Amino acid sequence: MKRILFVFAVVLLGVAFTNSAKAQSEEELVQICGMIAKEASFLKDFRIKLDAGDPPPKQRFPVILKKDVKYRFSVCNSKDYEGKVMLELYDNNRMLATTYVIASGKDYPSIDWVCSKTGAYHLIFTFRDGKAGLAVGLLSMVEML
Amino acid sequence: MLLILSVSLVLTSCKSCSKGDDVTEDFNIPNDIIDAEVTAPVLGTQVIDEMIQNIASPVETAALIKGLKIPFNKDFLVNTKASERYNTSFEKALALGIYGCDLGYLNMYEKTSFVVDYISVIKRLADDIQVGQFFDFTTLKRLATNNENLDSLVTISQQSFSRIDNYLRETNRPMLSAVIVAGVWVEGAYLTSRVAQISDHSKIRETLGEQKTILVFLTKVLKVYEKDPNMAKFLSEIDKIKLLFDEVKITYEVGEPEMVEVNGELTFTQTDKQIVEMSDETYNKIIESIQQLRSDLTKF
Repeated sequence: MKRILFVFAVVLLGVAFTNSAKAQSEEELVQICGMIAKEASFLKDFRIKLDAGDPPPKQRFPVILKKDVKYRFSVCNSKDYEGKVMLELYDNNRMLATTYVIASGKDYPSIDWVCSKTGAYHLIFTFRDGKAGLAVGLLSMVEML
Repeated sequence: MLLILSVSLVLTSCKSCSKGDDVTEDFNIPNDIIDAEVTAPVLGTQVIDEMIQNIASPVETAALIKGLKIPFNKDFLVNTKASERYNTSFEKALALGIYGCDLGYLNMYEKTSFVVDYISVIKRLADDIQVGQFFDFTTLKRLATNNENLDSLVTISQQSFSRIDNYLRETNRPMLSAVIVAGVWVEGAYLTSRVAQISDHSKIRETLGEQKTILVFLTKVLKVYEKDPNMAKFLSEIDKIKLLFDEVKITYEVGEPEMVEVNGELTFTQTDKQIVEMSDETYNKIIESIQQLRSDLTKF
């Protein structure tokens, strides 16, 4: 009996360890996102964790972007969640750019934004179909124009 | 394959080429876009949620200066010996921002021989305000000493500051985070002002002028903590500079963004126009006032 209990405990520990080893941390996602951003210079990361909901919950980050800078926005989903993150860039009242183009149904891991006006913008992150998710968004600079 | 798509992203009607005044005045998102319940992160305070990001960036400032082919000048930077004059957490956070900006400048010009001195100072200041564990001193020192992978030097420096920022916010010390940002801003504006004295490039003049917009957001963030005596004193100095910016006129022409996909890479180009106008007298006064503030903060 003791032997059975010992084997059971070892198996349980093994499963627990395997699961924790596989879980992706936000820090790992930042590194993956950095690779997606390629040669662009890292500026800031944004961590997004949202529960499932209808309408889909959103997480917003205000950010200053500067004229004559080409920025790159990259997004990276945790494989531990179903949700696929979508980023939308807004100024004070308009959506200006997105990583998910509804018209074509295409999802982009990164998009570039050529800024012509220094000012405040909003990054709005949401998970498609309101699924729960964990993701990281990265703001980086491609070049100064 | 070049695919040009007309942008159907604009949610509201866009008045093409209509003139606007100040984008900083009305910065609102319709309520239906934001779910107030979920936008509040762990701390749940509106203040921290609304703290605007990327107000000042060492990388952007240094890239601007280097892009204009301005030669590296060590005299632009704060002497590392000055770091000894900072005693309080407020002063140390401010200095952390200032030296962080200088590190960005050194990294951009690949001046690795000076980098070790600066990262040593930054590490000490960061330790003093209990965020040293997020500054990857060992890796940065190795990269700088061996003169290897200079892109990583920039990235790891930036990531270290981003981690410090995140940690300060998560541990209910967002004021220090705001003070670091203020330090980066002061040093970035100072570097730009020094370049303005040796270059008549229109881009430098415009960059200094558009600090009017950035100062509006910076002071909004700082004013949240104005009950702190150190912050109140610092804000009174910033307000003097802000007054000078009242003479800077910034106007905008609104356009529709364009979306282009090339080889699977999607690029959005903003077509809004920004026009910055100011007299030579105002320009010179702004340069003088920024340099005075920076001198007061760094003399030893």
